[in-house]
Amino acid sequence: MSRVLFLIKEALISLRRNILIVAGAILAVFISLSLAFGALVVNEVLRINTIAWQQGVHVIAFLQDEGENGVASNAHAVLQSEVEGWDEVESVGYVSKSEAWIEYQEIFANQQELLDIDPNVLPASLRIELVDIAFHESVRFRLEQQQQVVRQVATAAESIEQLQNLSNVLNVLGLGMAVVLGLAAVVLIANTIRLAIYARRDEVSIMKLVGASNWFVRVPFLLEGFIEGVVGAALAVFAVWLGSTNLAKAGEGFALFRLDVGQQWFLRWGLLFLAFGAAAGVVGSLLGLSRYLRDADGTGPDVPTGF
Amino acid sequence: MIRLENVTKVYEGGTIAANDVSLDIQKGEFVFLVGPSGSGKSTLIRLMLRDEPVTRGKIWVAGKDVTTLPRWKIPFLRRSVGTVFQDYKLLPNKTVTENVAFALEVLGRPRSVIAPQVVQVLDLVGLAEMGERYPRQLSGGEQQRVSVARAFVNRPPIMLCDEPTGNLDPKTSVGIMKLLDRINRTGTTIVMATHDHAIVDAMKRRVVALDYGKVTRDEATGRYERAAAEEE
Repeated sequence: MSRVLFLIKEALISLRRNILIVAGAILAVFISLSLAFGALVVNEVLRINTIAWQQGVHVIAFLQDEGENGVASNAHAVLQSEVEGWDEVESVGYVSKSEAWIEYQEIFANQQELLDIDPNVLPASLRIELVDIAFHESVRFRLEQQQQVVRQVATAAESIEQLQNLSNVLNVLGLGMAVVLGLAAVVLIANTIRLAIYARRDEVSIMKLVGASNWFVRVPFLLEGFIEGVVGAALAVFAVWLGSTNLAKAGEGFALFRLDVGQQWFLRWGLLFLAFGAAAGVVGSLLGLSRYLRDADGTGPDVPTGF
Repeated sequence: MIRLENVTKVYEGGTIAANDVSLDIQKGEFVFLVGPSGSGKSTLIRLMLRDEPVTRGKIWVAGKDVTTLPRWKIPFLRRSVGTVFQDYKLLPNKTVTENVAFALEVLGRPRSVIAPQVVQVLDLVGLAEMGERYPRQLSGGEQQRVSVARAFVNRPPIMLCDEPTGNLDPKTSVGIMKLLDRINRTGTTIVMATHDHAIVDAMKRRVVALDYGKVTRDEATGRYERAAAEEE
């Protein structure tokens, strides 16, 4: 027990006395993991938004008024039930003329001059959600066949599709970047810690000369690497969280694009990154030490031939 | 206590640092390994510590066959052998007390045992007041005293010293030698590589002379140079 305490104390003292090297290692972890974590957040934001864009109303069919120009008085209901039967269609909502007026008033609540119209000019409409956005062309075509009832078809599907394609590309890029930066982080962290140990290789050899076993030398270095990894990762997660939350706050009310990835997500991935940093620190220490802990083999010639 | 049997060491590149060396060192002896630079003094010490493997031959240190010792047992060998080097080999980030205590920490001794033992040995080497200093705050002679204290703190049966006075002025060297002599009188076997004529001649102990890795002379109470001794 006293040995364990000694080794922990060794690690803490060493952290304090090699403060510059330690700060360098923590900085390396912080920067590299910030980039990787940042890329991951961007990727998540894109994913969330792609999903959001895909949901909701895809096609709107504005309808002729019932009971006028030969339109039957139940034409809207008939059309709605027909459209609901189509395979491409997920759901259909009906907005009557009076509901359209209410909606109109809500949308333009701040622009009085636009409210000064005849409520009667606003048409009723069907709000259609598709099973897959790719069906928008065929649905538009089928709706346009119903010339009697359908006045006009509007769809945001094309722009949604474009956004979706763009978002897919960005998604792959973001994920790829997170992976590449993550790998770079491991290499950078491991290398920084390796260099820190290189700077102290004489210490390692002295410890061994005095009769310290490999594990006795190793444990404090591993603890140091672990602590550097965790502290750096914690700083990185915190910095990205802070940046992201503030950005989300600034972007609130910006309906088209959500910037908030949610605290749950942050907690899950933040913990993962802590583990990631810790592992990188420990692996870096192990790799850095392995060279200097090697012992001479037993009997045997250094030169294979000759003597 | 230490036995070398036909020990040969050839470095990569073909340099022969030890050539068929056989030596028998009894418990309590004080042995000087003398010879010019490159004669193989330091190599013999490194071989005894298994800092390097032998090419051929056998070495026993404190009852252990060093040449076939499995790697994981090397630390145990080194704990029974105190070492002192020309460059002191102190841990720069540890205080004097911590440096000396480290040799006991690796043995897993409890704090309650370590503290008084360190105080005692620092007193022995005359550094009782310097415990809280760092190596860089000490003179060369003082650092070497710390090194001796660390080597001796767990009372090893054997001490191996490689040019312990190599970096010190004659007066300071005498101080270190007095210290080693005192330690030797407690029954500790000491092997010391040196090319310091004055010290060897003054101590009148066993002298093993090496040249090109070969033992050229082994005298019970010798001087540094045979020829010089006979001419006088």
